[in-house]
Amino acid sequence: MPYKVLVVDDEAPVRDLFSDLLKKERCTVKCASSGEESLDIIKEEDFDIVLLDIKLGGISGLEALKKIKDIKPNLIVIMITGFGYDESLIAKSKEYGCSGYIGKNMPISQIMSNFKLFAKTAQEGTKK
Amino acid sequence: MNSYTEKTEKSLYRIIDNANALILYLDVKGNIIICNKKIEEVIGKLKEDIIGRYWLGFLSRDDNTGMKQQMFKAVIDDSIKYKRSNNFEGIMVDVNNNEQLISWNISPILSEDRELEGILLIGNDITELKEREASLKKIDETLKHILSSIREYALYVINLDGNITYFGMGAEVMLGWQKNEIIFKHISILHAEEDARSNLPFILEQVRQVGQYEVETQLVNKDRQSFPVMLTVNKFLDPQGELTGYIFIAKDITERKKLEYRIFQSEKLAAIGQLAATMAHEINNPLFVISGRLEMILEQEGLDDKLKEELTVINTQADRIRKLVDRLLKFARHAPPKLEAISINEAIESVLPLLSYHKLPVSNIDIEKDLSDNLPLIKGDLNQLQEVFVNLFINAYQSMSEGGKLSIKTSNFMGRFAEIRIGDTGRGIAPQNLKNVFMPFFSTKKDGTGLGLPICFNIIKSHGGSIDVESQVDKGTTFIIRLPFR
Repeated sequence: MPYKVLVVDDEAPVRDLFSDLLKKERCTVKCASSGEESLDIIKEEDFDIVLLDIKLGGISGLEALKKIKDIKPNLIVIMITGFGYDESLIAKSKEYGCSGYIGKNMPISQIMSNFKLFAKTAQEGTKK
Repeated sequence: MNSYTEKTEKSLYRIIDNANALILYLDVKGNIIICNKKIEEVIGKLKEDIIGRYWLGFLSRDDNTGMKQQMFKAVIDDSIKYKRSNNFEGIMVDVNNNEQLISWNISPILSEDRELEGILLIGNDITELKEREASLKKIDETLKHILSSIREYALYVINLDGNITYFGMGAEVMLGWQKNEIIFKHISILHAEEDARSNLPFILEQVRQVGQYEVETQLVNKDRQSFPVMLTVNKFLDPQGELTGYIFIAKDITERKKLEYRIFQSEKLAAIGQLAATMAHEINNPLFVISGRLEMILEQEGLDDKLKEELTVINTQADRIRKLVDRLLKFARHAPPKLEAISINEAIESVLPLLSYHKLPVSNIDIEKDLSDNLPLIKGDLNQLQEVFVNLFINAYQSMSEGGKLSIKTSNFMGRFAEIRIGDTGRGIAPQNLKNVFMPFFSTKKDGTGLGLPICFNIIKSHGGSIDVESQVDKGTTFIIRLPFR
């Protein structure tokens, strides 16, 4: 799955880990440490997938999601959450057009398989 | 001198005539020598017709047996014979045929050489007094009846030695003692030993100083079970105002305490839930990094076996934290139930087969089901309720490591709730732990997270129901859940 992925998280160790995990899966990875930064990058560059943390310094993950979708409606966005399963946040994210969510509380193997699954489903959806 | 005596005599007659009492003077044979106006009025005859007659026919009319008249005669004869005073209460029927109850004072009048000269009778109409007495007695009896009819409150009285002198019906109901069993027993029998020694004297001292004392405390019933009461103690004074004992009024506040405890518990759980959510989030980020990095290292080829083993231990432990945080989040972020009409019996039945998935010593435990077959449906989230039952069943099994009986009973509670009682015959919960069982992280199990019961509590609460626990050490534990009907 040679996707081009933008990882958005305000914690460097988390960004780095996602980056390494994805690179292992042969993805091209770029990182942003805030929602604002991610918007700047997206305007300049094309990505297949954005991995976006719900909780960010500055504008929130949800706001960032909304703005990303405003700029590039077809860009696949997967939310990352440290809160575990939170129905209201997830419902809100879906309303704004995210393609799935990954909980940091999941085992790593599940995180990666979920990522692949969401990415694949979303891509098939946009191709149609 | 002579005119003076005459004057005095006239005065005396006037005094006697005007006295507001029946006055008669008899000679030693019992014939009437003097009578006053009051007598004339009551009997309806003039003095001329009274004086000189034998007293008996005038002063008492009798019942059919003649007993009363004979008694009166005996009393007067006694005064004549032994020259002593007597009292007698007799009924006199006046000229209008009204009965009057007269209290007679009968005094012998003696000469200077102590010879009997005559008998003086002074009578007072005590009809009203008696009626008042009777009505007071009736009030007294009504009060006693009211007091003994109060079942909500236990009312009892002790004397200054601390012995029980009155024990009302409410006290019998609340404390389990019969009046005749407990009267004159010491009040300490109604208190726990320590309480009777230290608390009770303090309460009585307060009453002596302030007059009344109100306190929340515990009483002990005949079976030595203690329960919370609101106790009000007053001085018990005699009509002269002397302290003769203490009046106790106790109200059983078990139900109120339970409610207060539930509210307290809910508030506490909500606060803990909030804290837990924040903490879990803060833990999740670094933990995610630790686990992720570890897994990446472990996937590297050519890793030293020893190092790999050690890293695996770290990974397992990190995973343990992850699971704990997960459970904590589940508790904190308890999702609102998706309420549907479900059968509580079916919910229970659906869970029983699942027990075999948990490593439980199923073989030596009997399951006794008593499921009411005409229960209305309840409002419930099947998944969440299943989780509650699984939790409770597992707890029950774990407490019966030596084997025992798991009893599951459903019934209709007051037409409004389905009541589910899940009881085991296991080792029970110590009283000091009982109040903590719904507290997060409270566990007496070696590897318990202490989140099972708090999660159950949250689920039942969000269903608008209640969950309570009763337990006796070495006898077993029963959880009582009530869920509202649809």
